[in-house]
Amino acid sequence: MKNLTALACAAILTGMAAVATPAAAGTLDDILARGELRVAVQTQGPPFSFMDKNGQRTGSAIELTTLMAEEMGVKVVYLDFDWDGLLPALMSGKADMLAADMTPTLARATKVAFTKPFMYVGAVAFAKQGGDIASVEDCRKPGTTLAVLLGSTGEKLAPKVFPEAEIKSFKGGGTLILDAVASGQAKCGLNDNSAVKAQAAAYPEGTFTIFEEMLSKEPLAYAVRYDSMDLLTWGNLFIDTVTLDGRLDANLDYWVNSDAWKADH
Amino acid sequence: MLGGLNTRVMLEYLPEIWQGFLATLFLSAASFVGAMVLGVLACALAIQPLRWLRAPAVVYVDAIRATPLLAQLYFLYFGLPRLGVVLPEMLIGIIALSLNSGAYMAEIIRSGILSIPRGQVEAGMSTGLSYLQRMRLIVLPQALRVTVSPLIGQAIVLIKDSSLLSLISVVELTRAGQRIAIDRFMPVEGLVATALGYLVLYYVLKSAAGAWQARNSLPGRG
Repeated sequence: MKNLTALACAAILTGMAAVATPAAAGTLDDILARGELRVAVQTQGPPFSFMDKNGQRTGSAIELTTLMAEEMGVKVVYLDFDWDGLLPALMSGKADMLAADMTPTLARATKVAFTKPFMYVGAVAFAKQGGDIASVEDCRKPGTTLAVLLGSTGEKLAPKVFPEAEIKSFKGGGTLILDAVASGQAKCGLNDNSAVKAQAAAYPEGTFTIFEEMLSKEPLAYAVRYDSMDLLTWGNLFIDTVTLDGRLDANLDYWVNSDAWKADH
Repeated sequence: MLGGLNTRVMLEYLPEIWQGFLATLFLSAASFVGAMVLGVLACALAIQPLRWLRAPAVVYVDAIRATPLLAQLYFLYFGLPRLGVVLPEMLIGIIALSLNSGAYMAEIIRSGILSIPRGQVEAGMSTGLSYLQRMRLIVLPQALRVTVSPLIGQAIVLIKDSSLLSLISVVELTRAGQRIAIDRFMPVEGLVATALGYLVLYYVLKSAAGAWQARNSLPGRG
């Protein structure tokens, strides 16, 4: 009996302690309290996030994160960054979530927590049409200049797939490497197939030849901070939910797996 | 904030930072020489008496001063290939920096020359010196003295402006710092390493300017 009383006392004390020191408010609580989900996106990263012909921000990641905010019952606020500014923005707390076509590499995962992959892509090489580059093999020739995006998985992949190429890293949006190839400052370019396909669409027909051969297979995922495990759990459930009810496939089929969006944006 | 600086990683990237430092030093020095040549030429054209020779100098200086360096850089990098001219990015960077800084230097040198009192020039005329003699014997020796400080100031601006070349894939000090930010996700470490590099260059130039001024200043004119 005495023991039971002691136990009960202990339980009550523990309970009180728990009440007295409330758990640190999670990121989800913060989002709900301020009524907005802050998402870091790329300024020019079609088809995931970009400004369309009418000056409207749109893309696969934009629509999915808008859906997220709707499901949470909050507003969504987008913060624009260059590719290499995305992770610092998330890490410094400016954004709650990073929504881009980012590969969850082990190196990146030492700094941020990635959700489940929402799709898989592969890197492809491309060159100017009608130039002296007719195949991926031509890009492998010693001294061929290869444009990649600073801090991208393509930049990491380049020395493995094109060991003898001269690699030029460009800081900024993905279209910069297309500009470099179009203007002849680089012979070949290397980036994710979805990004290359979508971005090449903005150039005159026949500007680029995109070589179909997939040079890698990589998942894509959104990211949150490691102090936002509540948001991560929610994000994973969101991906499961939209996968099951078909909204994810509808999004990807429209934006990534086809050119359907080009008619509207 | 700097308490948590990861100096281990910064030291690990020291070779890259050093390479970047040397590249920045090289392209700044080359651009400075280019800018001086352009600046002297543009200034000479701007102050000589023939109007039709003045026009190109005025257009050059105005066009450069009215547009951002970044726009000029992209204009040369992505624009020249349209004319069939594909140059290495380092060379384009040096050309862009020279063109840009040259316009400002032309103005600095011109203001130095205009600062020489008119009476001295008239004194030269009355003793029968020609235009070139007046320039060489009276105006330039004094004008160049007062322009050294602002020219070194412009050189410091030029060094910092050279960081923009990282945007056309030139590997220099800023890009070397970006490597730390991108490979290790440590933007602060990258920025601090970069800033230290520029700080070193700044202090070397500043003390050079100070030493020069201490020895060569004109009485009453600074």
